[in-house]
Amino acid sequence: MIGLALQKADGLAEQLQSLTEGVAYLWPEITLVAGLLMVLLFDLIFKKKKEIGLAAISMSVLAFLLVAQLISFVPDLEPKDLFVGLVTVSSGAALFKIGFTLTALVALIMAVQSKKYSKEYFSSSEWLISLFGLLLGAFLMTGSSNLLMIYISVEVVSISSYLLTGLGKGLKKSEAALKYLLYGAAASAVMLYGMSWLYGLTGSLDINTDTFIVGINSAQPMTLNIAIFMVLVGILFKLGAFPLHIWSPDVYQATPIPTVTVFSIVPKLAAVFVLFRMVSSTHSTDFDWTLWLGILAIGGMTIGNFSALWQRNAKRMLAYSSIAHAAFMLSGILLLNRTGIEATVFYGFVYLLMNLAAFYLIQFFENEAGTVDYDSFKGLGKSMPYLSVLLLVVMISLTGLPPLAGFNAKLYLFSAVYDQYSSSGEKILLWVFVFGLLNTVVSLFYYIRIPYLLFFKPDNQTIAGQRQFNWHMIWGTLLVLPLFLLFFRSDWFVDLLNSINFVF
Amino acid sequence: MEHLLSYIVFIPLIGAILVLLTPKAYQHLYRVLAIGSTGLTLLLTLFAIQAFDGGLIPQISGETNLQMVEKSEWFSLKLGSLGTMSVDYFMGADGLNISMLLLAAIVLFIGAIACWKIKEKQKAYFSLYLLLSTSVLGCFVALDFFLFYLFFEFMLLPMYFLIGIWGGPRREYAAIKFFLYTLAGSILILIVMIGLYNSVYDPVKTAEMAGLSLTDYSIADIQSMVSEGEIESEALVKSFNMLNMADSANYIPGSLLDRYGSVATIFGQPARWIAFLAILIGFAIKLPAFPFHTWLPDAHVEAPTPISVVLAGILLKVGGYGLIRTAYAIFPDAAFHYAWLIGFIGMFSIIYGAMNALAQKDLKKLIAFSSVSHMGFVLLGLAAMTSEGVSGAIYQMFSHGLISSMLFLIAGVIYDRTHDRMIENYGGLAHQMPKYTAFVGIAFFASLGLPGFSGFVAELFVFLGAFKSASVIGAIPAWMAIVSTLGLVLAAGYYLWTFQKMFLGKFWVKDKKWASDLKDLTIREYLMLVPLVILIIAFGVYPAFLLDLINSGVESFINHLTASI
Repeated sequence: MIGLALQKADGLAEQLQSLTEGVAYLWPEITLVAGLLMVLLFDLIFKKKKEIGLAAISMSVLAFLLVAQLISFVPDLEPKDLFVGLVTVSSGAALFKIGFTLTALVALIMAVQSKKYSKEYFSSSEWLISLFGLLLGAFLMTGSSNLLMIYISVEVVSISSYLLTGLGKGLKKSEAALKYLLYGAAASAVMLYGMSWLYGLTGSLDINTDTFIVGINSAQPMTLNIAIFMVLVGILFKLGAFPLHIWSPDVYQATPIPTVTVFSIVPKLAAVFVLFRMVSSTHSTDFDWTLWLGILAIGGMTIGNFSALWQRNAKRMLAYSSIAHAAFMLSGILLLNRTGIEATVFYGFVYLLMNLAAFYLIQFFENEAGTVDYDSFKGLGKSMPYLSVLLLVVMISLTGLPPLAGFNAKLYLFSAVYDQYSSSGEKILLWVFVFGLLNTVVSLFYYIRIPYLLFFKPDNQTIAGQRQFNWHMIWGTLLVLPLFLLFFRSDWFVDLLNSINFVF
Repeated sequence: MEHLLSYIVFIPLIGAILVLLTPKAYQHLYRVLAIGSTGLTLLLTLFAIQAFDGGLIPQISGETNLQMVEKSEWFSLKLGSLGTMSVDYFMGADGLNISMLLLAAIVLFIGAIACWKIKEKQKAYFSLYLLLSTSVLGCFVALDFFLFYLFFEFMLLPMYFLIGIWGGPRREYAAIKFFLYTLAGSILILIVMIGLYNSVYDPVKTAEMAGLSLTDYSIADIQSMVSEGEIESEALVKSFNMLNMADSANYIPGSLLDRYGSVATIFGQPARWIAFLAILIGFAIKLPAFPFHTWLPDAHVEAPTPISVVLAGILLKVGGYGLIRTAYAIFPDAAFHYAWLIGFIGMFSIIYGAMNALAQKDLKKLIAFSSVSHMGFVLLGLAAMTSEGVSGAIYQMFSHGLISSMLFLIAGVIYDRTHDRMIENYGGLAHQMPKYTAFVGIAFFASLGLPGFSGFVAELFVFLGAFKSASVIGAIPAWMAIVSTLGLVLAAGYYLWTFQKMFLGKFWVKDKKWASDLKDLTIREYLMLVPLVILIIAFGVYPAFLLDLINSGVESFINHLTASI
């Protein structure tokens, strides 16, 4: 197919020029690869005391990338196809990439601070290489407009994730990594199979071309439905959404917190972006996105929230919470309109900020207490009041109560659902609307659980000397402040989203 | 004075910040800060009452004659096909909320004095108390639904911690039950809020957006242009303004909650009725009315005294006020349709609460159930949809706010001394604590509705309104009023019985050691109880003071209701 596409271009010279031009647009990805190589080389050349060097290199690469992306961000960029339609660069993708870079940077900072894992992480380059690989895959996922490219980038993310899960010793880890790998392999096989059906139906792998759209609209409905379902399996797996969520609690529990932070944000949001793509090129077909995503959303919220109620470990709880949040994002995507996209992106970024803060603070408590089992939180509110209050704030935001950004995210999302319902009258939307909001009550019960243990239970351990100032307070505050900001001045971010050219 | 309402609402917040900034070494200052900031709030509220002109007839569905208005844009968002969503920082006072503001300021101040005895974790306690104060006060004056909802939800968290950390033995259960119940209620309100703001536009802002000058076009012109479809939907500015929502001309044609045009249905019922029911349940949980009241006895029994006072004195009134301001003002047609149901729930709560109170052994539980019973009068008065009924409902909220505060303080007095509230464990306390007994007597008689106390005026109005309703407007049948009077008899029963058991006869207490602990009232207790007694009697013998404040508002409210049925 690539060959076919290449023939379209007039001359070899022009083709070459378009390829070299395209490379310039991929500078974030190239920076990542360069960073990856630098880490690898550093690891090979130096023998001792590599920790500081590796941390410094990786952090400065990511910090540079973040700043450069922020500076070069243009909201209303015309989307541009590169490499004969394999990759599309757009402002929406650039925004997501900024989010991914930020997440990875915070995860790195957390990894440095982690008492348990910082040695393991930085004594050799494996963790960093896998992290960069995951980031690279996620970057490419936001840029892929071709089924093959989507598959490859999803695989890059997956393989890096398996590596990240399996790194280090421990039975639990191996178990989780194996589960993850088996599950993931099956899911991507199904997705690949589905893609081959789509190719068979349309004769094109590039989902933005007319050939694809025409082909898919004239496809036999049953076949098309099955094909899209199969593709959806792979995407839902990455999204960690119901019913392909079963791997995530085990993986979250077995994996160190900095890695979980990345897992819970980067592949999910990248999958959201891929879903945007898929939806936008297939929304006029017989596949009833609204209905199916609506069912998945209702199922995910309910399963995620109710399962979270029974957890006794902060990481497992947040795993189920992220399943529920993935379902909320699905309920924005199923609207198939611009308002839905904006609401989903807003939700996604608030989710990103909330999870960064939540995991940062959870890791702080892990450093102090040794584990993140609920029992270890008991009574810590007394010895560490400030950070406990910050964690409370984050939990309230995850629940979706004012005055925090989680509330606005829900408000916009469900306003969009409601608006679509009132104009189209589709029953499933009403159910999503009512279920989604009522689920807040369920979620409160488990989100308030950790603050409850922090503040209500007597101190069962003596952790001294935390009352006075420490740097975690500054970092924690920096991570929590945006949650207030996006409540009181959410117009700043929404105005930005308004100006972004969301074309997929 | 400009920004008076903002000062009133946010002074406690500043107090909370000061508490947080004051080092622990100076923790004796915390309570001074709490009393100081709530006291300042009370002073400013009295100033606002002084400045409030009760003669101005407010417009329930617009801003005419709204007093002490503060309105500035908070943020507005373009939400694609949704048009623009605009949130204002909008506060104001009219006959419907000025009395509630006064009540809140009084009760919060007295509650702050009652906090004096808190010794544990003072910093957290006083900052939470002051945060709670801000959100309660804000709830009563906010006229933008978003702002209202912010304050409304923000009450829950401080309350959760105040009950859960400083409460009694089963505090954790009570706290989470309170939180979950009221959150469920507020989610129902949120659902309706989303529906409402998507259906209502702000004519003034829409004109601005569409480039029409208000000097050339009146608001009615704009409204007719929108209903004719002459203004495109992208130019519509959807607002959270509660007063706009009350005006049925402001609904976007074809929206789900539009009164005119084709009636949209959800599950076969008109959408407006469903929305009204959702909001009714939401506030009925807060009120609380049967069958959503079960969180209240638990919360009251476990909460520390000052928190019980605030809970019974003000938080329940937020439910009643919310019904008036949102459910009734915005959905008068549905309110009329469901008047029978609301009246019945009110009546049932009166009887059911009173019967439960009869069966209680715990003094605080008895008072809690009497609250359920008394808040039933609020529902009954509202359901009547007559001016007497609604005045009675507001008067009852005000009066019950004072009386129940006093009742919980009284229960706190005995609990402070013996840590036991069981009615059966005491007898003949009048010999040991004569002054205390006198105050208890006053509170009990006031609560059972003896003439001369504020409760009598309120209940009288409610009954008058409920009786008249059948002939004036036909909202509820007269037998509901008749059955409800049974509540008075029952109230007399449980109060007199309790009074007799605890205070009359020979002095006897379960534990001999208590006898020395049971000393009569202290100066601090006088300081809380005496002002309440004075207020309860004053509002009982001179109801005109409060009625003058609320009358014009109620008249306008009734006109608004009857005009839209």
